[in-house]
Amino acid sequence: MRVLLGSNLLCWAIFVEAATLVVNIEIKAHLFYPAEVIVPANTKVKLLIHNMDSSPEEFESYELNREKVILGNSKAVVFIGPLAPGEYPFFGEFNMTTALGKVIVN
Amino acid sequence: MTAGFFCAKPTRRLIFRLPGAMETLMSVVMIVAASNSAYLHADGSTIDKIYHPYVQLLETEIEYRSRYQDDDDAALDDQQKYQLGLGRSLSEQLFAELYLIGAGSSESDFELTAVEAELKIQLSEQGEYDNDWGLLFELERETKENLWEVSTTLIALHQWSRWIATANLSLTYEWGRDINNELETSLASQLRYRYSQALEPAIEFYLGEDTLGVGPVLTGVQRLGGRRKLVWEFGAILGIDEATPDTSWKLNIEYEF
Repeated sequence: MRVLLGSNLLCWAIFVEAATLVVNIEIKAHLFYPAEVIVPANTKVKLLIHNMDSSPEEFESYELNREKVILGNSKAVVFIGPLAPGEYPFFGEFNMTTALGKVIVN
Repeated sequence: MTAGFFCAKPTRRLIFRLPGAMETLMSVVMIVAASNSAYLHADGSTIDKIYHPYVQLLETEIEYRSRYQDDDDAALDDQQKYQLGLGRSLSEQLFAELYLIGAGSSESDFELTAVEAELKIQLSEQGEYDNDWGLLFELERETKENLWEVSTTLIALHQWSRWIATANLSLTYEWGRDINNELETSLASQLRYRYSQALEPAIEFYLGEDTLGVGPVLTGVQRLGGRRKLVWEFGAILGIDEATPDTSWKLNIEYEF
C-alpha cells in the first residue's frame, strides 16, 4: 500500500535536484550593473537583482515577458529562459531614460 | 559593462516539478467535464475576463469592463453589464480589488446590481516552474436581491515561445433567500500570441451552465509615460449552444499606475 501510495505521489510530484544558473545584477544610481548580461541558450537562469538605491525600481522587458518591482535597498528574483539565441532588452520602469540593459543569449 | 553567466556560481536546489502545461489543461478540462456530468454549473453567462496569476508590487489600477449580448432570443438580447473596479497590490503576492457592477438594456434603465470584493494570490514566481500558478477569491453581493456568491478560481498559465495559454477554473457557491443554494463550476481559458506589446491576438473559450462559447479577442498595452499604462482588451465570444448568446461583445480597459 505504501509502495502504491509512494508511486502515485511520485507520478504527480517528482523532486529533482537541478542546478539553476544565477546571475547577479545591481541597480545603482538608477543604472543596471552589468547593463549587458550574457547567458547560455536554452537554459533557465535566475536573475538576482539587488537594488542599491533607496527608491524602488521595476525590471521590465516585453521581450523577456517579465515585470518585477524591487523596493529600495532590497533584492528580488526574476527567472528567465530557456531562451533562443538573441538579444532581449530590459529597462527600469521608474527611470526609463537611464536604467537600460539587455540580456544576450548565446 | 558586460558580464557573463559565469559571474555567479550556479546553486543547487530542489525543484518541485509541476505537471506539464498540456497535462494541466487537460486535467482542468476533465474536471469541468466531470462537473458538467454531475450538473454542477455556473448560472448566467460566465463570459468575463481571463485572469493571469501575477501581482505587481506598488501597483494601483482602475478597471472598466463592459459586456453586450446580442441574440435572436429576446430574453438574451440587448443585455448590458458594466463593471468599475479599483485595485491595489498589498504585497508581492496579494492584490485586492473592489467593484461596482451595473446592468441595463435599451428598454430598462442602468442600475447598480451588485458589489464585489476580490483577492488574488500569486502562488509561484513567474517562470520558476513549467507553469505559473495563482488563486483568486471573489465575494459578490447582489443589491436588488438577497443573493450572495463566493468563488475560488485556480489560475494556471503556461508559456512556450511567443504563445501563452491561461486557464481559470472556478468553483462557486451561491446562496440567499432569492435563490436555490448551489455549487457551480466554470472554465475560462485563453490562448494568446505575443505579437507586440501594442497588439496581441487571442482566442478565448468559456464553459459553464449557461455558457458555451469561443471567440477572438485582441489585447494590447499603451504606455503613457513612467509607470502609467493603459491595458485594453476587446473581443466577441460566439455562442455554441442555445443557452449562450449568439454574440457577447466584451471591452475591458485598465489604467495602471
